Amino acid sequence: MNIKNIIQCRIGFFAALLAIIIIIYPLGYSLTDYAIANDRAEAQPFLERTAPEITDCVEDTIYMRYHHWELLGKIREEIVRYGKRGDVSLDTCKKCHTSRVKFCNKCHDAISMTPDCFGCHYYP
Amino acid sequence: MDRRDFMKMTGGTILAVSSGTYAFQFLVASGRSVSGDNIAAGTVRWGMVIDLNKCIEGCTACLDACRTENNVAFHGDNRWDVHWIRKVKAEQKIGTESKEKSILLLCNHCDKPPCAQVCPVQATYKRNDGIVIVDHHRCIGCRYCMIACPYNARYFNMKDSEHWQNEERPKRSHGVAEACTLCAHRLDTGRQPACVEACNNTGAGVLFVGNLNDSDSEVSQLIADRPTKRLREELGTEPKVHYIGL
Ligand code: SF4
Repeated sequence: MNIKNIIQCRIGFFAALLAIIIIIYPLGYSLTDYAIANDRAEAQPFLERTAPEITDCVEDTIYMRYHHWELLGKIREEIVRYGKRGDVSLDTCKKCHTSRVKFCNKCHDAISMTPDCFGCHYYP
Repeated sequence: MDRRDFMKMTGGTILAVSSGTYAFQFLVASGRSVSGDNIAAGTVRWGMVIDLNKCIEGCTACLDACRTENNVAFHGDNRWDVHWIRKVKAEQKIGTESKEKSILLLCNHCDKPPCAQVCPVQATYKRNDGIVIVDHHRCIGCRYCMIACPYNARYFNMKDSEHWQNEERPKRSHGVAEACTLCAHRLDTGRQPACVEACNNTGAGVLFVGNLNDSDSEVSQLIADRPTKRLREELGTEPKVHYIGL
């Protein structure tokens, strides 16, 4: 094997490695996202507890922080499409997070997104 | 390592990592699952009987109760007002005589609802208990259902309603069609619809809501004992609102 061949072989190897990294990176990122997000959230305690006497939520904090719209969507489907009126609904949120301005709007404003919920559902 | 092994390993690694990541996400995100209906098909079939003979002239108890319960839009302008239940004057001509009668009109919760058939996004659908309902989250405001409904029971929210009389219940934003839901939220929790309650409070007792599949229920008894009619039966929509004295 002469030097030229070795160099070509190396380039091919590194190109393949780079391709793998590029492919895997976003997938792996979502794994580490939870850990990173945890730190980030602790650095910005901008959520205000309006009813501190209740300490537990329907799901844990991290799940609620990153998936609450999925949960609400599922509950919505259960209630609207299947008539299953369980014990959890948007009204359950109101028990602790009594103020939309102090709770929901903080994040929604920060990332400038406007959920459609409150056009129809009463949440002061 | 030859080329073939290398390719195999690369593929294997990518597959393992990606499927692992996917599974992890799935495990974390699937707290709840949606499955099955609350009511098995065919056990309950809600229907209504309206005894027009007992209806008091000029009384609007049920109409007002419906508005307050369901936050039905009211702007005081005919162009934008929404009515889930309304009272219309109908003139009946028998020979040379004509007599006026006021009739309560609402969504008939048809067994074969044309509105649900035409809905392009399946926002309007029939629940297993026979209630025809609009999923306002899904409604795109195309208004096909308003054209399809032979009873003019559907209304469109031309603009947002400002009033929020009942904070427990949602109101509708601009751009969705709606009709009577037979107070599905009340029936689900074992209560009677708002109009029925209000009518009973006035002492008139015109409206009855109950299970049509149960032969012992009040509505089934009334339909069996009294001559009842339904609106535009010939269309084959199988409406579930039965009128006495139409
Ligand atoms: S009365 Fe009209 S809105 Fe109600 S189910 Fe029948 S077609 Fe649909």
